[in-house]
Parts: sequence; structure tokens; C-alpha cells
Amino acid sequence: MKMLEYEAKPIFSQYGIPVPKGVLIRSPDEVTAHLTELGDGVVLKAQVDVGGRGKAGGVLMADGATASETARELFSREIKGVPVREILVEERLAIEHEYYVSIAIDRSSKQPVILFADAGGVEIENAAKADESAIRRVIVAPLLRDIPPFLMRELLGGAPKELAPVINSLYHVFQEKDAMLAEINPLVTTPRGVYAADAKLIVDDNALARQGITVNRDLSEREREAEQHGFSYVELDGTIGVIGNGAGLTMSTLDLIEYYNGRAANFLDVGGGADQERVKHAVRLVASMPKVSVIVVNLLGGITRCDEVAKGIIAAGVAPTVIVRMAGTNEEEGRRLLAECGYRMLESMDAAVKAAMEVRS
Amino acid sequence: MIYGDKNLGVIVQNITGKQGTFHTELMNAYAREVGGRGVVAGVAPGKGGREVHGVPVYNTVREALREHDATASVCFVPGSAAGDSIMEAAHAGIDLAVVITEHIPVHDAMKAIAYAKLHDCAVIGPNCPGLLSPGECKLGIMPAHLTRRGNVGVVSRSGTLTYEVVDELTRAGIGQSTVVGIGGDPVIGQTFVDVLARFEEDPQTKAVVVIGEVGGNLEEEGVRSTDLPLVTYIAGVSAPPEKRMGHAGAIIEGGEGDARSKVRRLAALNVPVASRPSEIPGLIREVL
Repeated sequence: MKMLEYEAKPIFSQYGIPVPKGVLIRSPDEVTAHLTELGDGVVLKAQVDVGGRGKAGGVLMADGATASETARELFSREIKGVPVREILVEERLAIEHEYYVSIAIDRSSKQPVILFADAGGVEIENAAKADESAIRRVIVAPLLRDIPPFLMRELLGGAPKELAPVINSLYHVFQEKDAMLAEINPLVTTPRGVYAADAKLIVDDNALARQGITVNRDLSEREREAEQHGFSYVELDGTIGVIGNGAGLTMSTLDLIEYYNGRAANFLDVGGGADQERVKHAVRLVASMPKVSVIVVNLLGGITRCDEVAKGIIAAGVAPTVIVRMAGTNEEEGRRLLAECGYRMLESMDAAVKAAMEVRS
Repeated sequence: MIYGDKNLGVIVQNITGKQGTFHTELMNAYAREVGGRGVVAGVAPGKGGREVHGVPVYNTVREALREHDATASVCFVPGSAAGDSIMEAAHAGIDLAVVITEHIPVHDAMKAIAYAKLHDCAVIGPNCPGLLSPGECKLGIMPAHLTRRGNVGVVSRSGTLTYEVVDELTRAGIGQSTVVGIGGDPVIGQTFVDVLARFEEDPQTKAVVVIGEVGGNLEEEGVRSTDLPLVTYIAGVSAPPEKRMGHAGAIIEGGEGDARSKVRRLAALNVPVASRPSEIPGLIREVL
């Protein structure tokens, strides 16, 4: 789950990373009350979950005289289509230089990777594209608690040594907060020392419970409902509903729909042990999208009980046509039950998807 | 066959759990069918002394290995404790840990895989269906009746999609040497590179089907690493960016790992890429 800047910064601060003084506001009038504490020069930063926020007009400078007008302006904006509901107002730093540091997971080596660039800020991605050597990269063994000094030297190159403890603290945040990504861009030097001017933190969805996070905000309401049933669910923009078991098979079913020039309405993986109740909930959930005209159910597995699945589909009793492809135990009984109620059960996923295309047209 | 044959002794971690109990019996049914050793012991802390389908249960992996000759473990321990169980198995001398568990925190997976490597223990998974060498051994949850012994290897990030492809191969009369599901998480132990290296050493395997997904670039690394004849398939061509398609690892991030560019890069390496699973048997015949 992605943390917003105003949530990530206090965490960074707990780990000893200096962050600018700041206040979160939810209406333009709140800003003036905080000006004495923040100083005359402030930065207003929209708290929206979009990349390239600064370039998209989500960060504005102001002083005491213009602060509340600027806040009003920012609250009225949409940043890449996302309305601004919260603004982080921060003291303006006297920035000498901007650096970039990011810690992520390197799938190839199965270890944390730390990226560092001497030129941070909004242009980092373009800079990296233009010149790969602009970003230095080190891999850290995951069993180590600290970044070894030799790796830190390699990472920093000629950059000031005072950045090292901040980067090591960021590595602690990365480990202890179960982060998929912990990033500071820009990491800045000022006459008063080093600061994290921005903060990005993505927490592993499989570790939310032990991090004390109860609601995954990255999910839509329907996605959360699906999660409660133990389904993986993603809403898409087509009209053909899809229910499968296993992520790969379900994705492959979506691809097959596209192969036959259709568009899937959703991805729904019912997970292991597709019993009657789960199948019923899955079919009803997909059928509840008004745009869905036909649903393809594609279930395969050694232990999937086809009679249970058939009963679930029949019990759902939904309006859109349901076309079934399944293989497992009690296949014949499942086929008989479905046929009795007028449902079609086909032999292959190709045949099921083709049949769905015919229903749609 | 790779990783093990009939003589492989296997333990099951969390054998008293629902999945552990159920699949222990299926693994041993397969072992009886092919004349293999199968699951010789189980582990469940605090439940030592019991039996599960005739298999003795021990409190720790070390105790199980003191009484039984086993080198592989199949792990059904739930998410937040699974990392610890992998380390326990590696520490006790297990050479191959097959981790079926879903939803392991990725930091636990990284640490456990690194720790296992220090003890020369190969980890398959997590979040995988395990492996099956037809006629030899089954470690995990793959439906054995779909498989048939032959000379085509299968390595995949998926579970049920693997069964789909194996079913297609078997129906087309193409048997398999070993089928390996390496798992759908962002951090996994054995990758395509590792499994393909084993297939290269295996005289039975003449060609390999590589089944990938959106996210990362492990497929391309694997394909580049081997001289074996390959057929590839990538699921998720229609997947939108930044959306997790069921598997924690199946996500297009920062504009990287989308299926279309994977397919393009694989095709550029002169490897046949199937556009749907039903094309795979035909393409395999062409490379055999």
C-alpha cells in the first residue's frame, strides 16, 4: 500500500531522518494559523497519489501574504485527474543541492537494491534515461542490518559523507516497515544540514497486518469486498465478465478474450478450493457490474469439485449468460446439473471464450 | 528428471494443517503408484508423536531428520511463519525446500532465501504449486493425473495455468520430464535461470516450455541463459499497468515488466512465443 508524503515523513523522522517542519491542512483558511511556526516562506504540496506531482502543478511556493490565496488555488486543482483534498504546508528550505536515493527490491538478485544519483529532483527519470551512469546502484545482502561502509562509499562516490547516515536510516525504514519501496527525492543539503524534502514509502500488502494497517486504501470498494471473500479482483473496462482459479489461468483467460477481439470487464481469481458458496459470491459480484453481458467461468485443478461449482453458479441465479469451462472431479455430475438449468459447459478455454464472443455480439 | 527421483525422501512442514494433511496423502498416493519413497515424516511444533495418514510427526525438522533419511521439504506453514520454517529446514540440513505458502511478506522471503543459500539449500517458491517428475516424484500440489512421462520440461510462474499447459501437452501425446512451478511472488528462490540450468544437465529433457507472467524480467534472463530448445508463453498481455493481477509479482511497475514488451524481447531472441496456451503443443513439436 502506498503511503502519502505526510504519512511517510513522520516515519522517516522517527528513524532519525531530518524532515522539514510541516502541517497538514484540509481547507485554505487553516494555513495562516501556522505561518508563525513555519516561517514566512512556505511550500504547499498536494497530497495525491500520482507520479510527477511537481511537474503536474501539485507543488506551489508562497509567502505570508500569498499563502491562503495559493492554498485556495491548489485546493481547486486536479493533479492528473485526482482532486486535491489535503495539502502539506512546509517551511521552505534553503536548498544547496538535490540528490536522489531510492531503496527497492531487485527481483533478479532477490535482494534490496539502493539507487543514488548526484542530481535529484523532478528530472531524475529523464536524467536516468539519457545517461544510465547518472544513477549508481548497489545490492545489499538482506541479512545485514546496516549498509556496509564500502558499499556506502561506492554508492555516494563524490557526494558529501553527511548523506551516509540518512541513507542508512532509510535502509532501516525499508527493512522494519516491510517496504517494497522507500525513496527520498530530493534528498537535499542546506546550510542547516541534510533534509528529506520528499518521502515515498510503499508497504508490502502481505505485511499490512503486522504493520498495524487494517485497510488497504489502494483497493476500490468492490475490490475490498472481493478481498473479504478471499478473491483477487481487478476491474477493467470491457463487457465480458471473467472468473478463474489461479492468477495465471485467469490472466490467460483475459488475454484469450483480447485475442478474439473482445474486452474483459474484470479479473477475478477465486483462489483455491472453489466451493459452492465462493462460486456463488464470485458470480454475483461480477454480475453486479451493469456493463457485464456474459460471464466466462474457467476453473481447472485436480481438486476442484465440478458439482460444487455447478451448484454455486445455479444458486447465483444471475441475468448475464454464464459460460463454463471446468475440469476436476465429478465433471459429469457438474455438466448434468448445469445442462438441466440451461447452462453451457465447454471442453476448452478457447471454446468457452469463443462462445462468450458469440453471446456478446 | 531434475531435483529428485523415486528415492527422494520428503518431509512436510505443518503436516497437521488442513492443506498439509490433504496433500501429504496425495503425495504418498503418487509415491505408491510409482514405487517411490514419498513423505517419510512430518513436522508440526508441539504436535510431535502424532501420525498423519500413517506418517510420523515431529516437533522440529532436526528431530525428523534424526529418525528419517530425507533431503527435501514441502512447506505448508502459513504466511508470517513460513520464512522461519524455510530457515529451520535449511539449518537442519534439507537440500531442497518447496514452499507452497502464499502471502509471505517479501522481506521474510528475501531473508529466508539468503539464509537457505548459506546452507546450500535450494528454495522453490514461495507461492508455488511445487514440482512433479512423472513416474518419479511429486513435491507439492500439482494434479498428477494430468501429467505423462516424457522429454519436455515445463517451468512456470503460475499454478493452474501450468496445469492447463501440461494438460494440453499430455492430450497432444507430449510427455513431461519435470514440471516446476517457481512461484508468483516478486522474490522467489529458484528462478528460470536456475531451473533451466538443471534441465540442461538432464539427459531426459529435450525441450522446455517457459511460462511467464507480467512483472519483472526473469523470463528474459532465463531464455538468455540456455541453449535448450524453448517455447515460451507470457500471461497478462491484456493486464493494465500498476494493477496487481492476483499474484504479488504480477504487476507492471514504473513502466517495466509489461507482457507485450516481454513478448517482443523474447521474439527478438528467436524463441517461439505462443499467443495462447493451445498453441504450445504445436510449437513444441516444431522445436523437438
